[in-house]
Amino acid sequence: MTMKTIRLATTVTAGFALAATVAACNTDLTGLNQDPNNPTDAPAGALFTNAVNSAVGRWLGGGYSLRATEFTSQQIAEAQYPDEDRYARLQGSDTDGWFTGPYTNDLEDLRKIIAKGQATKDAGVYGPAMVMQSWDFGYLTDTWGDVPYTDALMGDSTGGSLAPKYDTQKSIYTGLFTALSNAVKAMSGGQVNGLAGADPLYGGDLGEWEKFANSLHARYAMRIVNVDPATADKELKAAFSAPGGVFTSNADNALLAWPGDGVNDNPWADNFKTRDDHRMSKVLMDILVANKDPRTGIFAQPVADSSLYPGGYGGMPNGLSTSAAGTYLAVASRPGAIFWPGNTSAGFYGSAANLATPSYLMTYAELSFIKAEAAERSMGGLSPSQAKGFYNDAITASLEQWGVTDPAAISAFLAQPGIVFQGNGSGGAGDPGLKQIALQKWVALFTDGGQAWFEWRRTCQPSAVVAGPAATISFVPRRYEYSTTEGTVNEANLDAAIADQGPDNFGTRVWWDTKPTVAPTYVSASVCAGNNGK
Amino acid sequence: MRQLRRFLAVACAVLGLPALAFAQQTATITGQVTSVGGLPLASAQVYLVGMNIGGLTQSDGTYSLTVPAAQATGQQATITARLIGYKQDSARITLAAGHITQDFRLTSSPVQLQEVVVTALGQVQKKSQLGTAVQEVSSEQLNSTHAQNVINQLDGKVAGVTITGAGTQGGSTHIVIRGSNSVNGDNQPLFIVDGVPASNTDILGGGSANGGHDFGSVISDLNPDDIATITVLKGPNAAALYGSRAANGVVLITTKHGAATGGQIQTQLSTSLTWDKPSILPKYQNEYGQGAGGMFKFVDGAGGGIQDFNDQSYGPRLSGQLIDQFTGAQQPWVAHPNNVYSYFNTGQTFDGTLAFSGGTDRANARISLGAQNVNGYIPNNTFRKLTGSLSGAVKVGQHLSANANIQVINNKGHNQPGVGYNTGVLEQFIWFGRQVDLAPLKARQYQADGSLFNWNYNFHNNPYYLQYDNPITTDRNNVIASASATWQFNDWLNASLVSGVNSWNEPVNENFAQGNINYADPNYDGGFNLYQLSNTEQNSRLTLNADRDLTSRLALNASAGAARDYSEYSEKSQRTAGISVPGIYNVSNAAITPTLGQDLRRQQINSVYGSASLTWDNWWTVEGTARNDWSSTLPKATNSYFYPSFNTSIILTNALPGLKSNVLSYLKLRGGIARVGAAADPYSLLTTYNGQSDKFGSLPQYTLSNNIANANLKPELTTSTEVGAEMEFFNGRGSLDMSWYNKSTKNQVINLTVAPSSGFSQTAINAGEIQNKGIEALVTVVPVQLASGFQWTSTFNFARNKSKVVSLYRGLDRYRLGGAWSLDNEARVGESYGDLYGYALRRDSATGELLLRGGLPQKAKTRTVLGNIQPDWVGGWNNEFRYKNVSLSALLDIHRGGSVFSISNMFGQYSGVFRETLRGRENDWDDPGIVLKGIDQSTGAANATRVTAEQYFQSLFEIHEPFIYDDSYIKLRELRVGFNFPQRWAGYLHASSASIAFVGRNLWTHTKLPNIDPEFSYTTGNVQGMEFAALPNPKSFGVNLRITP
Repeated sequence: MTMKTIRLATTVTAGFALAATVAACNTDLTGLNQDPNNPTDAPAGALFTNAVNSAVGRWLGGGYSLRATEFTSQQIAEAQYPDEDRYARLQGSDTDGWFTGPYTNDLEDLRKIIAKGQATKDAGVYGPAMVMQSWDFGYLTDTWGDVPYTDALMGDSTGGSLAPKYDTQKSIYTGLFTALSNAVKAMSGGQVNGLAGADPLYGGDLGEWEKFANSLHARYAMRIVNVDPATADKELKAAFSAPGGVFTSNADNALLAWPGDGVNDNPWADNFKTRDDHRMSKVLMDILVANKDPRTGIFAQPVADSSLYPGGYGGMPNGLSTSAAGTYLAVASRPGAIFWPGNTSAGFYGSAANLATPSYLMTYAELSFIKAEAAERSMGGLSPSQAKGFYNDAITASLEQWGVTDPAAISAFLAQPGIVFQGNGSGGAGDPGLKQIALQKWVALFTDGGQAWFEWRRTCQPSAVVAGPAATISFVPRRYEYSTTEGTVNEANLDAAIADQGPDNFGTRVWWDTKPTVAPTYVSASVCAGNNGK
Repeated sequence: MRQLRRFLAVACAVLGLPALAFAQQTATITGQVTSVGGLPLASAQVYLVGMNIGGLTQSDGTYSLTVPAAQATGQQATITARLIGYKQDSARITLAAGHITQDFRLTSSPVQLQEVVVTALGQVQKKSQLGTAVQEVSSEQLNSTHAQNVINQLDGKVAGVTITGAGTQGGSTHIVIRGSNSVNGDNQPLFIVDGVPASNTDILGGGSANGGHDFGSVISDLNPDDIATITVLKGPNAAALYGSRAANGVVLITTKHGAATGGQIQTQLSTSLTWDKPSILPKYQNEYGQGAGGMFKFVDGAGGGIQDFNDQSYGPRLSGQLIDQFTGAQQPWVAHPNNVYSYFNTGQTFDGTLAFSGGTDRANARISLGAQNVNGYIPNNTFRKLTGSLSGAVKVGQHLSANANIQVINNKGHNQPGVGYNTGVLEQFIWFGRQVDLAPLKARQYQADGSLFNWNYNFHNNPYYLQYDNPITTDRNNVIASASATWQFNDWLNASLVSGVNSWNEPVNENFAQGNINYADPNYDGGFNLYQLSNTEQNSRLTLNADRDLTSRLALNASAGAARDYSEYSEKSQRTAGISVPGIYNVSNAAITPTLGQDLRRQQINSVYGSASLTWDNWWTVEGTARNDWSSTLPKATNSYFYPSFNTSIILTNALPGLKSNVLSYLKLRGGIARVGAAADPYSLLTTYNGQSDKFGSLPQYTLSNNIANANLKPELTTSTEVGAEMEFFNGRGSLDMSWYNKSTKNQVINLTVAPSSGFSQTAINAGEIQNKGIEALVTVVPVQLASGFQWTSTFNFARNKSKVVSLYRGLDRYRLGGAWSLDNEARVGESYGDLYGYALRRDSATGELLLRGGLPQKAKTRTVLGNIQPDWVGGWNNEFRYKNVSLSALLDIHRGGSVFSISNMFGQYSGVFRETLRGRENDWDDPGIVLKGIDQSTGAANATRVTAEQYFQSLFEIHEPFIYDDSYIKLRELRVGFNFPQRWAGYLHASSASIAFVGRNLWTHTKLPNIDPEFSYTTGNVQGMEFAALPNPKSFGVNLRITP
């Protein structure tokens, strides 16, 4: 090699060494991986707004409500493709998102809010989040039974489980009572900053949150009355006597007022924009029409040919075949105009203002029915003599909630023969008052298909709810099938839950539903059948 | 032409080139190069070995070389003639002043085992010295027929590559080399265009079974006529130098350049016009019209009449009776057997490319302009592409040479059709009432009062309204540019710097007119989804190359370098379902506050790499490569990773000359092992909160991401071993190139699905192992080669890949890749990648008979594996016959095995429109009905319950088993009849040849899958094997005129 070559080689080698160094030691590399799109922390208020929106949009929305529980509660029937109404499209894979969505969306976010609130010792932040979590978990356990609770939502915590164990429904109920009591206790101690305007339910008013928490406490207490009357009684007392009290008027209702701006709309109105396949069920319409219920024209719309039914309102049977269901499309009542957004692909029904129709998380009417039942059963520190008053309060509240405010109309309805309270104060089988309470409560729960279905399972009222002629099974589901995603990735824990609770099918009864014949309102095995896991 | 020469002269002068030397007392060698058949061969390279003297033949096959007196001293020399597609030939001549004549007759050799090929990092290597599997596709092979997407033109031509084309104009083409490695990545190879990485990822994620539009990917932008070669580096062994992006192999695309033509201009012209039709459309029944239960009466098409909301065809028999219909009261109820078929036009594709090139031995240039104009086979769907390409190379002085390439492409799509549920054009035709007359729908889309006019108002949009009043437009600008400079230190050492950029931007406007059932809020006057997408990828590398004969028998080829690869993707979107004034699709016209989206993703990989190969005595080569990457997407502790590879090849026929015989003329064995990997996606290390532009009223909303980030991610690692053999028989009349490989990918970055009850749906982990073992072979034979010029060449390629999911994660035996209608596509431990997991029919466990309820089948209680999407093998068989100026070639593309879940067939039966649904209603809508063979669940007795066709076919909904089909198919992929015009005609055009060809694609398909094209793709993603309303690949035929330089 010549000197020239060596010099050249040295220069080149040095050049490459430099290039390699530049390539390798670029300290910017790590910085480049900082996400410019999404932060690693967010304010509790913005999380809370989203969690409430998400939870309410699901349990009272177009899917779980309008395409599932409104059919299994038989308040609404499907007139076009009745797969869900026949329980054909309610398999674990179809309902998967309603099981998994709460955990991954609202419940997890609420847990983060609780952690943030507890870190700053601000009950105004973590109290409402605990109440919302309890409201949310209720739908989960009442729809499926045993679900993950104590182990749940800890996926990103050190040592947290990526495959949480399932808790028995009994222990979940115990947990809900405790959580609600703790939330009320904390909130009654006041807040530091609170959620204020970021709370779309009560604008940060902790007094209202206490009432909601205690009313919810009463809902859950009454739900377990067949299987564990002693605890039900104890928890009813706890709910009624807790600080802040329970709902005392419709002004206390837990409701989400939708902005109705085309982005966040009432989920039913949003659905009806483009789908016209829901018709009122025969079960609900028969009850409304028989009692000359002033809510008839609010819950439902008259059919085009008014000669078909006295008064022009009629429903269709649930669970028909596609071709049979289709024949009802033109001759059964649509859900009420207040749920319709005006212009729809099927025509003009309702008005654009209905996009802002609120969704009800829990109402004073429901609370009053709970009180009436408690009184008739002499539970929760109440006595049968109070039952009629609570019952009338409940019906009045429901009528007023739905816009029937004319006192004459209200008293006329209360005077209807089927409506006048006939409780005998026995609180046992054969007490006609308990049936009336169950039936009218079921009617008042319209739009909350989940609660209506849960209450039917508990009370066997209305007894006209039976599986339709084209249903894939011979009974109305007592629960839904577990998430197929959980079946894939949390198989062992799910199997343990199935071993505890019974086979994963529509017939298995959840814990509080295991003693249906104890219900004083129970009708018969043929009406309130499950298949007990067979 | 004269101008070009002047231009080049000026360019050279400006660049300070020394004037060309003129020879004085010289030797002149002239001659003609022809084929065995006597055809003059243009552009053949003729050179004196070892003397740096050479040239190209003219269009009449003649050449002339001049040897300076100083070098013509009466010594012996070797003169060689070679041309791609022919076996090279050499002769010994005595070099002395004066005139020497030497002609060559070259034997056609489609087999190119000993050519030079482009390999990793653009290195040019002798194929005989490669220890890895590389297959090159020439421009001629690529362009034998015309497909809209260049990747489709590789179909059936490269062993071991599985390509699935899209029916959509400008849509996605899915390509996988040697099977899928990864459960999370897209398994697409890396594309390198003239040294610049480019992505084949879908625009907007592509379509899915649930809908969307397939806007294709940028790779399809390239003009096939500008491509000189496509080299497929099959898998990690060949691609190891590309490091972390090479796990899925590399497709190297080299564009055309100018050549040293002695300053002469050369013309390239290619035009083709093809007519396209859907290759396969469903077969319909024409006995029963719309409705249910044998009933129908139209009032408002939305439920006001009798079953008039219904979009299925289980209505009254079509026997001419008068029934109220959407066209008016009391219309004859008759079938319209052509009512779907007549919706499809004969599409038209025009392609034209005009290019000029030329150069001297110091500088060359090529400029090309191309246009593609597609009128799709569905109404009002067009696709226009303009491409410009400019490349130039110049040698400056003794040491420096430089070249630059730029491809500029503009691409305008108009109304690219939707795919899948809701948006698919074909979806509507899986429900279309059999009595519906298309003519009135085509004639008008609106009623007198301005409202929409359609056959059904409940579920469907008028298909003409969709195409004419809901403009979907894309307008992509794509620039691929690269420049390189090479400094030649001496005759064995150089350094080169290559920099390139691929940058594209694309607005996508999906506009929806008032009344669009799927996208427009009925309270408003329409809606829109607007997207602005852009991507930039910058790549620079500096490489030092040494190529030196160390001794007379040992040659060294080595390189070392460093590279930086940076990419940035940006996506912005504005979407709303409501606008104020009809027809104005602008954010300022939004009636509902639009949902806004913004996403920016940046990543960078820095690398150093090196390779060295030693060749002993021209028969034994040993090569090693090494690369270290630093990736921005991994944590600092693990972001540096090292990839080595090693391979060797032995040409046995050179090592042991005794082996060589008339039968076996060449035998090479090769083998190697390589390790490559893949980094994670950007921003995978920290869990984030996601904001929503949609406020709740005035309240902002945030939610925690459902993905648990992992701050300790490591890169994926693929280890691949490979052995191969290359053989040539009967002096090039036959060849075999085969490979066996075994690759395994570990430490996969898996977005592991976790129990949602943990509060999260996924977490990124490193786990799992997927193995792909396979064999691939390319066989070429020339069964007939006659002195008259007749030649038959047959090429067969075959690939069989067995994938196996060895492990996933502790306690996890299956991983969901995706799914639709309750059927999942899964990776399962112990199985091949891509199991279809869904519901079978419920059967009696003892007898295996169907367990029926009310005479109807039931879904099994739990899901089971019903099939696997992996084919048993794929292959291509091409036969070419040439006689003088005429050639005929046909390519069969064969796909054997693999399963597909056909959602189209599931719904086509549910809706009663497919021909299969006549079963049970041969006499009337419920007569004779269907009595299924099976056991009644409640009685345990044989079923005797009669059900209607409607009940039966609808009961199959979401029972997947009947709709899992064998996805085997054979397609006549290409058919070409070509004529070469006489040489002198081409000569007038300063070209070497001119030809006209009649071409056809997808002219014939054999498949067991009814009603649907068995080849479908609306995404380049991993969720394959589920078909719904993908448009069929076009069947096209046309004419192609080509003038080649």
